[in-house]
Order: sequence, then C-alpha cells, then structure tokens
Amino acid sequence: MTSYTDKIQEAAKRLLEEGKVDMVIGYRKGSVPMMNQPHYAKSAGEAEALIWDSHCGLNLANYLTDREDKVGIVAKGCDSRNIVNHIVENKIKREKVYIIGVPCTGMVDRHKLPKMVDGEISDVEEDGDTITVKTVNGDTKNFNKADVLQQNCADCSHRNPVIYDEMIAEPVEEQTDTDMFASVREIEAMSPEEKWDYFDDLISTCIRCYACRNACPLCYCPVCFVDESDPQWVGKSQDPIDVRTFHWLRAYHCAGRCTDCGACERVCPMGIKIREFTKKLNKDCYELYGWEAGLTAEERPPLDTYRPNDPEDFIK
Amino acid sequence: MSDREPKILSFLCNWCSYGAADLAGVSRMEYPTNIRVIRIPCTGRMSAKFILAGLRQGADAVWVSG
Amino acid sequence: MITFKLNGQTVQGEEGQYLLQVAENYGVYIPTLCNHKALEPAGMCRLCTVELFDGRRTKFVTACNYPIWEGMEVQTDTELVHEGRKLIVEMLLARCPDVPVIQELAKKYGIEKPRFETEDNTCILCGLCTRVCEKMGNSAITLTSRGLDLKVDTPFHLQTDICQGCGACAFLCPTGHITLDKINELITTRQPEKIKSEYDVGLKGRKPIYVPYPQAVPNTPAIDRDVCMHFKTGGCQICADICPVNAIDHTMEDETVELNVGSVILAPGFQPYDPSKLDFYNYNHPNVITSMEMERMLSASGPTGGHLVRLSDHQEPKKIAWLQCVGSRDMNRCNNAYCSSVCCMYAIKEAVIAKEHAGDDLDCSIFFMDMRTPGKDFEKFYEDAKTKSGVNFVRSRIHTINPVADTDELELRYVTENGEPVTDRFDLVVLSIGLEIAPELIELSQKLGIELTPGNFCDTKTFSPVSTSKEGIFACGAFQGPKDIPQSVIDSSAAAAAAAEVIAKARNTRTKEKEVVPERNIIGERPKIGVFVCRCGINIAGVVDVPAVVEYAKGLPYVDFVDENLFSCSQDTQDNMSAIIAEKELNRIVVAACTPKTHEPLFQETLINAGLNKYLFEMTNIRNQDSWVHKNNPELATEKAKDLVRMAVAKVARMQPLEESELPINHTAMVVGGGISGMAAAKSLADQGFETHLIEKSDHLGGQGVNLYHTAKGESVSENLDKLIESVRQHDLIHLHLNTEIQNVDGFVGNFQTTLSENGKEEQLEHGAAVLATGAVPYIPTEYGYGEDPRILTSLELDKKFNENEAGLEKINDAAFIQCVGSREPGRMYCSRVCCTHSIENALELKRRNPEMNVYILYRDIRTYGEKEYLYKQARQEGVIFIRYSLDDKPQVEVKKDGISITVTDHILNRPIELSVDLLTLATAIIPSADEKLANFFKVPMNEDGFFIERHAKLGPAEFATDGVYLCGMAHYPKPIDESIAQAKAAASRAVTLLSQDSIHSSGTIAEVDPTKCASCGVCVSVCPYSAPSFAEEGRFAGKAQINPALCKGCGLCVASCRSGAIHLKGFDTDQIMSQIFEMDEAI
Repeated sequence: MTSYTDKIQEAAKRLLEEGKVDMVIGYRKGSVPMMNQPHYAKSAGEAEALIWDSHCGLNLANYLTDREDKVGIVAKGCDSRNIVNHIVENKIKREKVYIIGVPCTGMVDRHKLPKMVDGEISDVEEDGDTITVKTVNGDTKNFNKADVLQQNCADCSHRNPVIYDEMIAEPVEEQTDTDMFASVREIEAMSPEEKWDYFDDLISTCIRCYACRNACPLCYCPVCFVDESDPQWVGKSQDPIDVRTFHWLRAYHCAGRCTDCGACERVCPMGIKIREFTKKLNKDCYELYGWEAGLTAEERPPLDTYRPNDPEDFIK
Repeated sequence: MSDREPKILSFLCNWCSYGAADLAGVSRMEYPTNIRVIRIPCTGRMSAKFILAGLRQGADAVWVSG
Repeated sequence: MITFKLNGQTVQGEEGQYLLQVAENYGVYIPTLCNHKALEPAGMCRLCTVELFDGRRTKFVTACNYPIWEGMEVQTDTELVHEGRKLIVEMLLARCPDVPVIQELAKKYGIEKPRFETEDNTCILCGLCTRVCEKMGNSAITLTSRGLDLKVDTPFHLQTDICQGCGACAFLCPTGHITLDKINELITTRQPEKIKSEYDVGLKGRKPIYVPYPQAVPNTPAIDRDVCMHFKTGGCQICADICPVNAIDHTMEDETVELNVGSVILAPGFQPYDPSKLDFYNYNHPNVITSMEMERMLSASGPTGGHLVRLSDHQEPKKIAWLQCVGSRDMNRCNNAYCSSVCCMYAIKEAVIAKEHAGDDLDCSIFFMDMRTPGKDFEKFYEDAKTKSGVNFVRSRIHTINPVADTDELELRYVTENGEPVTDRFDLVVLSIGLEIAPELIELSQKLGIELTPGNFCDTKTFSPVSTSKEGIFACGAFQGPKDIPQSVIDSSAAAAAAAEVIAKARNTRTKEKEVVPERNIIGERPKIGVFVCRCGINIAGVVDVPAVVEYAKGLPYVDFVDENLFSCSQDTQDNMSAIIAEKELNRIVVAACTPKTHEPLFQETLINAGLNKYLFEMTNIRNQDSWVHKNNPELATEKAKDLVRMAVAKVARMQPLEESELPINHTAMVVGGGISGMAAAKSLADQGFETHLIEKSDHLGGQGVNLYHTAKGESVSENLDKLIESVRQHDLIHLHLNTEIQNVDGFVGNFQTTLSENGKEEQLEHGAAVLATGAVPYIPTEYGYGEDPRILTSLELDKKFNENEAGLEKINDAAFIQCVGSREPGRMYCSRVCCTHSIENALELKRRNPEMNVYILYRDIRTYGEKEYLYKQARQEGVIFIRYSLDDKPQVEVKKDGISITVTDHILNRPIELSVDLLTLATAIIPSADEKLANFFKVPMNEDGFFIERHAKLGPAEFATDGVYLCGMAHYPKPIDESIAQAKAAASRAVTLLSQDSIHSSGTIAEVDPTKCASCGVCVSVCPYSAPSFAEEGRFAGKAQINPALCKGCGLCVASCRSGAIHLKGFDTDQIMSQIFEMDEAI
C-alpha cells in the first residue's frame, strides 16, 4: 500500500511540475483514525501529503463537480465510475480531468472495526492483508483485512478504475464470485409489514444531518429537494414521515446512477445502512436493463433516457 | 381486512386513463365514491413526490394510471 | 310558483305539477308502482296515498295524480298512511305472491304472509302497459272484462297485427307479467325482432334512439326511423317530451345539399365478408363467430365486457381455432380471389389478446395457408406469438366445421404437414373473414364513372396510387384495395395532397378573420375566482345536490362569485358567463361540469370572449367522474363534488396568464433523397405551391427505381420514372441539389437552417419542414453461391437483364428463385414485403419469353397481399412451380458445370429433391440506408433494423414525433412503388398542414427552466421524446438547460425527471398539483 503512496506522490509531482494539471485531488491522513481527508495538492510540495491506505473511502469525484481548472484526481474503481457519471451529467469535462487510476483492494469498515475491539481506537496500521488496531488503552489487535472490509468493498466487482489516464499499478484481479444483492433478496422475501418495520428500524436513528447527501458525488443540485420551500416537498422535522420521505427520494434520485461506493454509509455518524435503499434500485437496474452505473460515458442511465423502441418487457 | 373503505388518490393521464374514467361515466358504470382524481398531462409528469405527498396527506392508496 | 308544505317543509312547484313530481324534486320518497314520468298518472296502485290537510280536515289522496295547490299541507309518512299502504301491499302480495317487487315491498312493510287467500297472478293491474301502448299510438292491449275478471288483454283475446311488438309494455311492466316472449305468443301476429347493435355486430341490442358507438362523430344520439315507433304510428315522442333542451324534432326531413368543389375524395371503406353463405362453416352455430364478433368480445367496452366466453353457454372457452382466408383467396366458393391483407395479423393479435385475457391455459390455433405478415414490425409480432405467447400455427385450410352432437363443441378435421390426418375439437371457432366492397359502392362507382378492379376495388395506377380513373376524383382506404390502418392513414393523407394539388391556387380564398377581444392584464390582482356549477339538466343535478355545492363554493378562499347553470355549454349560458366574468372582473374561473377533455376548449373560448387569458381556468369533472358513476349514492356524490370544486379552486388560484408564443413559419420545404419517394414528395409539395429543395447525394435522380423493370400491375417502371424525373426537373418550384450531402442542421419546426455541401461547396438552406426519404439498398448475399457464378443473380440484376433486353434469356430451360434471402431470419426479423410479388412477376416474364421454361420459386410463405394474389394464381396457372422450404432447412446451392444444382426438401413429398437450373435469382432483403448522421441532425429515432420510427405506427405513419420532420418510402419500411408514392404524398400533405400557415402558436402549457436551479445534468435533454430541451450556448445561463416552446408538448416528463426541481410545467406546475393534493385532505 505504501508503494501506492509513493507512486501517487510521484505522479502528482510530475503532473504539477509539467503543468499538466493545476491541482491534484487525493487523500491525506485525517486527524481521526480511519478518516482520511481529501487533499488538494497545488504544488509538488503539497503533493507530499498525499497518501494511500485502506481508509480512502471518501469518493473524490465529489470534489470535481463543476471544476473549470485542469484537475488531476486519484481514483479507485468506484471513484472512476463516478467520474464517468460526472462526465455524462456535464459536471466535468473529460479533457479537464487527469485520472490517476488506483487498483483497489477495498476499504476498512470504520463502523465495524470499533465494535471489534475494546476501547477507543487510537491508530490503525496495515501491512499487506493484516490490519493492526491500537486502542487508547494500549491494546493491539490484528485482523485479516478481508474480515474488516466495508460490505460494498467485499462485494465489489469493479475494483480497477474503468477510466484513467495512467495507472499507478497493475490492475488487481476482479472479484467474480461475489453477490452484491444478497441483502436485497432477503428484504424482498419479507412481507410488506416486515419490510415496513425493517426500514423504519433502519432509519430510526437518523438525525437528518444530510452527511450522506453531502458525501455523495451524485448530489450536486443547486437546490436539493429537501431545501425546497415552494412548495415544500419534505418537512424539516424529525417526523418519521419526513425522515422516510428524505431517504426514499434520495434513493430514487440515485437510481441508475449509484456506483455503490459506500461514501454515504461511511460518513453517517449514526452508522445507518443507507445502501439498503440504493442497492434495491441498483438491482432493478441490473436485472431490468442490464445496467451498472458509471461503466460507460457513451450511454445515459436507463431512467434518464427516452427511446421509442424501448421493449418495456417488464411492463404488463 | 376491515370494512373500512380506503381513501384513494389517483393521478390519471389526460390522454388515456382520464378518458377511460370519463368513458366509465358514459357507460354508467358504478364505483365507490372514495376516490379523488387529479388530471395530469401524462404519467411522465408523475413525480414520486406526489405519491408521498398524497400518502402523507392521508390517502391510503395512490393510484397512478396512464 | 305554488308554495305548500310537505312533511312540514316549505316547498315549491310549478302550476299543473302533481304532488309526486314535487316530492321527487325535493328527494321525498313516496312509493308507487303504476307511475311513470312519460305517462299521465292514473292512480291505479294506490300505493302513493298520502295525507292531505286542506285547512279544515285531513283526507287521503293519491300523490301521483293530485295537482298541487297553494297552501296545502301534506304528510307522506304518517302512521295512518303507513297502515293504509301496508294493507294495499298485503292485498297485492295475496294476489301476486311470487312477484319479486311485491315481495320486497312486503318485506319493507313487515308482512310475512298475507291474511287473505293467495292467488298465483303476476299482474297488479297498474295499467302502465295499456297506457304506454296507447301512448305508442297502438292501443293493441287494454284492460278487459270487469270486476274480478279484469285483466290486460287484446280485444277478444285474439293476436293482432296492431301490436308492432315494440316491447314498451314489457319494458314498463313493474312485475314482469308481460314479457317479450308473451308478446310474441299472445299479442302480436307480427314477428318482431330485437334491434341489433351494429357496433357490437349483433351481439348486443340497441335502442331506436342511440349513439352508434362511443367514438362517433358527432357524438350525439340519432333516431333510427326504421324502428322508431313514432315513424310507424305517429305516437310516442317520449324522447321529445323528456329532452330538456328540446333538441328532438321528428318533422325533420332529409335534404339535398349541393356543393361546388374542385376535387372529390372517396373514402367509403369496405364491408366485412358475410360467411353465412358458406353453409359448411355452420356460421349459424353460436360458437362459430366472425373475427369482428371476436374483436367486440375482446373489447373491454364490448358486449361481454372483455370477458371471453363462447356464446352457447357463456362458459370460458379452453380451445379456440381461427380459420384464415374466409371470403378471401377463394374463387370457387365466394368469388373473392384477392387476399384481404389484414386477416393474418388480426388473427394473431386476437389470439395473443385472448391468451392475455384468459391465461396461458387457453389453447389458440390459427389455421392458415400462407402466413402473411409483411408489415412493419409484424414479423416480430408473429415470431413472438409463436415463441412467447405459445399460439399454435397450423398450415392447413379447413374445409368444414362440424358441430359435435350433444355438446357445444366443434370438430375440425385437417391434415398436418407430415401428412397425418387429425381430428380435433374446439370450444370456439373464429372465422377470419375478409374485406369486400359493398354492392351499393359498386353502383356508386358506376354512377361516378370510376373504373374498378376485378375485385371491385377502385382501380388506380402505380405512379398515381390515389387517383381514380376520373380526373379530380381521388380514393383512399380499403376502397382502393384491402389494407390495414397505417396504409389507410397514409392513403388518406395522400388523397388529401392529391386533391389539394389540383386546387392549390384556391388556398385561403374563403377564410375569414376572427374578431379578438383584447386581453385584460390581471398581473398584481388578488385572485377573484368565479365558480360555475353545471346542472347538466338532470345529468348532474339528478344526483349531486348542486345548490349545496354552490353554497359550499361560496365559502372557499378567493371565491368571489358562484352560480349554477342548467347547461353551461349552451350558447346563451356561454354569453351570460362571459358577461358575468367581465362585469364582476373575475380573474380566475372554475367550471364544475362534465369532462375537460371535450369541453375545456369551449369554456376557454368563453374566457377569451370575456377578455381573460384562457389559462386562468380550471375545469372539474362532476358528471362523468361523479354523478354518472355514483347515482345510487347522492350524498357522497355531493361531498365528492364539493371536494373536487375545492381542489379546482386551490389550483386555479395559482394559475397565471400564459403566453402562447408565436413562431413564424418558413414556407420552404426540403426533401432528402432523390428516389421515387423523395421525388414524389417534392413534386406534391411544389404542386401545392411550396418551394421545395430536393437533396440527392448521387449525381442522378431515381434511386432504386432505375433498377426496376415492371410494376406488379405490369407497367413499365422506366417509362413512368422518366416522366416523374422530367416533371421534377421542369418544375419551377423545385430546386434540385445533386451530389449534395447534409453537413449540419440547426433550428426546429418552421425554422430549420441546413448546411449543404453541394459538389463540395457549402451552402445554407432555410426551410420550414423536412421530408426524409433516404430509401434503402439491396442486401448483397453471401449465401447460395452468390458471386461464384454469373448465373446466380439478385432480383435487381435480373430486372436489369430484362430492362436491357439481354439476349439469351428466352433460351434458358430451367430457372429458379429463392425467396427470403436475408429476410425473416434472426438478425433481420422482418419481411421485405415486395420480393414475393417481384419474383412472381419476374417468373411470369421468363415464361413470357419462353413458355416452355421450367420456373421454380422456393419460398417460405407467399405474400402476395391484396390483389397481387392474382399474379400468384396466374403463375400457378402458367406452370410456375412453387416449392416451400423452412428456415431450418434452407435449400442447398452448388455450382456445377452443367448447371446450378439446388437441393431442397419438397413439402409434399417430404424428401429432398434436386433441381438443376441455368438461372438462379435470389430475392434479397431490403436494407435501410440507416443514415445515423441525418437521424442525429433531425433528432429522429431509428429502430434496431435501421428503419426510421414514425410518430405513431398506426395514426402517424408519415411523420416523426419531432415536429416539422416527415418521412416516406423505404427509409420507413420496404414497400412497393405505389405505397412509396402514397407515403410520399402523405408526408407532403402532413408538411403542408404546417407550411400553409404563416405562424404557429405554441401551447401555453409547456415546460420552462429556472436556470438558477438547473444543475446542467442533462436528464431533460435526454428524456424528452420531442427534443425540446437543449443547453443554452451563450448568455448568462450558458450551459444551463432551456426549452424550446415550439417543440414542447407539455407532457411534463422533464419536469418529473429533474432532480433539482428546476423545471416548471406551466398549467400543471408542481405547486398547483401539490395544492390539489393538499386540498384532498378534507376530501374522502
């Protein structure tokens, strides 16, 4: 992993020095364990703060929105798919972005890990597939990385960038035997009452902080529907109806566009499994239209298109 | 199921279902009164927000047809 | 007005009204058995007895025939009244213990068993029958005898021809004593029949006064003089008495109207073939029906409500058979030698729908000779019917339908393709009847001096497909030949173009300008809403309490004025409404009446006449969707009406005056493609007076037509084509651009700017409309040894030899054609439509050149639709040998020294045979030019095969969904010359509807972008079927979406798709729909 860091820094410095880009967006170490921050490197010097490890879960495509300067960006599989989305949706021009592709082996679940150790985590280190957690009490515990991955990373089938200008390493092997939609199928099998209870329970702790929305590269509207006041779509309160409305509509806005990068879940201060909403729509898009978001800039998502010859086989 | 009649809010496409609802009248069919129709220019106009607003407003069911 | 008290309530009635009528108006229930509003009351049953106080004493009177008077006091339900009625009911029950109406009344009055001796009568002697019989002008029945023997009968108990069998007595009889059967047996000597609904093909009855079918234009009732009693006896006229607007006038006579016209279009249609002449089909059996009857049965508005049943016992059928070619392709039994063109497709459609209705268990079999699905997307439908829907297709012509004794089933015997005889039973057999020309139409044609074809269709020439043999008279639709809806629609537009071409100079010579009332500016005014609630005679007021709705509306926010109208749509009411709107300075209007689908434009006109913007209006439907469907629930219907009015008021308050932007129209047209279609379109446009630019990429005109030899009608293509080319070249209004490609297209309907590159030189062209006629090319085969030997040709190459009159053709001894080369197979699942006819025509040409030649045609289905069937027959007569092959067992071709060897499995012998021929012609597929660049320029779609997709497969076949762009010819689908020219004229006709206007107005209800909220994500640009949204290229909001009002259809798809809520749909804006939702709260 540290070799990635060196290579990212090297690429960033080269691009900045050659004047190919005005800035490189990547990750730097955060002030809290497991929470790397986005980093804007505008000079070779600033590029030295760039790092890569298993805590780069933020989706950097979010920081490309409407940028007019020439930007280099560090992109793992999911980030690259969101960059594709951004290109399709006119949020960035392809020629304005230089993509430093990073083959990814998954990010550590920052909600899961604290529950696996006693005491507050003071530091997390990694060496190959081993994740070493230190707590404030001075305890040290080792984990196999595969056991502490974010669920979306464990299920990921697009670990390598789908679009890039250079790769900092050879592509990693893609996982082929994963089941992205296992949990969706479980929910689909429930009765309507069970589903209702399941989702009510799921979002019962939501504090409507909108961190999930802010972390999501898909959410870039000048005025979000939750902030709309004429007419008011969604109440501002903690009323369960308003909370539900927010989550449902947010998910619908991501239909056919969500790359399952997990940024929303990662940033949720309450640890809500927000992906349960978007995943169902991802599954529908996959099964009805054979569509996975962000794999091609040639086509718009199925729900964004009108075609007179749409077979509409599933409409009865 | 209880005997309670559900309140139904319906959004009908001007070009087909709204016309069909008119035709039901012309044919003197009968149906329960607990339905309110909002005419929309096309079901393409239908936003998920309308459905949620209808449910929030107390409708037991929202029917979109077009 | 007379005022009196009814159950203590002060009520009013008109002078001369009876007590019962007034009580009914006020919703006070008084029971009666002998009263009907169409007849004078007689006080026979005494059930309506009420208590009357005349100021001094009380007495009992019958409400039905007691005239009201000032100051009287009436009680309808006192103890005494109740007791009296109970006694009457008890006596009626004793007389008629088995009559349901009486039983029900008895139950209501708590009578279990009458105390009197019971009889077994069913007549209560109410006299409704005798009174209505008199009213009908017959008086065939009367009350005879006296006292205990009193009964309804004819004089002397003899059957009489005075009774017309109208059935009015049975209709009014409250007890069911008189029935239609009894009328036939005991009363009339005539043999009356039920009036059959023509629309439901006799599966249902209808009244003498009726609306022919729900979509009839005009949608008003008509009286059938042949069966109306008034026209037989001079009596009845109940309809005229009841009509509240006095619309019925029985004295109207047919009048002769003379019109001076420049052209005439004949569109008289066809009649379905009547299979009752063919006794071996046993059409009189209830379970043998025609396809027309099947259509009605499958229709949700049909006689069985869309429920599929067999007619013998109304049970759901388990097995259905369709028999094709009943009344078509049959010289021996019905003299209709032609193919009716449409039956194969409709039979497949019916089978698929039947399975959709009844589920997969339903067994559907179609018995056919050749499956003819040569239309656009038809072959795919046929394939899906086979593979997805599981419809059985059996190649066999059934001779006889045998009813199976003691069952309702029908037996069919046939031989399978393997030669096995099969006997099978079906619950229902559908005869796929053909189309034919009615005898009176043949007579009319003779009168007009129009020539007909052997099949009695209107005779037309290939290069003038809608012109009859008489100048100035044009024909379209099935009168010109059996055809389906798209082709009929194409024909009709083409006939309109042809009719306009000859009278183009007269355009706009008889138009009148309309006076316009200046529009009042209401910006800044507080909403002042006027609400008009319509009674619609009794249609609404009979159920909904209109005064209560009016009262309720007065209390709604911003409502300034409320009134009710008897008929809001009547001219005087309209004038009155306009006056009120102007006088009260109302600035928003709600009309609660019937449906906006029919009446919104009328009321908007009322607003315009009052100087109000027509979009400050909302109509709410308290008739079709309220009073008519809740007639047994007046209270809740009234509540619903209040809710609907409240929702409409909430919405209308948020309405703004909307502008209909005016767009000037450039009167020039551009036609892309210099083939037959393109030239025909250009010529029609120019003949109609419009300057036209014809763009052709090659250096010559004629397209694929230059390769063709003869038409199916035997006309020389080159002669006619030369004439067409010459007329195009000579035309003053046609500008020819050869060697020209289109570089770019900007603009939209009425205002296109196209960049041409003519001989490499760039040129700008401004035009209002574009017709795309980019045609198609022949498939170059890789199969059947093509290219290996000069004796293996494509159809066009053979035509070339004919055209050049190549020597040696007549010396050929053996020739073969292979059909469907590249068509009707995976990857190109469509029929190329022309090849069967083409090959047969060429086979006959070979026979003409050498009658001794052996000619073989290897085919899958012969698709000589319409009167092209005669060619097929002629070919067989002249000895052309037809050998059928199947897709999974294609012929094998081998080039040998002494000839071309073809091995094919013969379908009769069921074994391979080998042919050795000197000439092999491959009937190759037709492939669209599929110019994607052009499609992108005009933003028009193509299907997966590369053919352009028209606006509507049936109703918009010569135009695109994108306004101002039209299509014709083989770019749409493979088609012969006559159909190409018809579509070219159709496209021209559609274009002229646009080009003939100086400007068009966009609708006011269109979408608009708020650029400050736009995220530029492009969903709107992508989802719009009409290409209305685009990104602004310059200005403050460059990069943001904008919507072209000229292209927007106001569907709202972009509005709902816009995640950031940046798009507004004027007239159906989000806040307006939300206000309706919010006002629903109190509702229900």
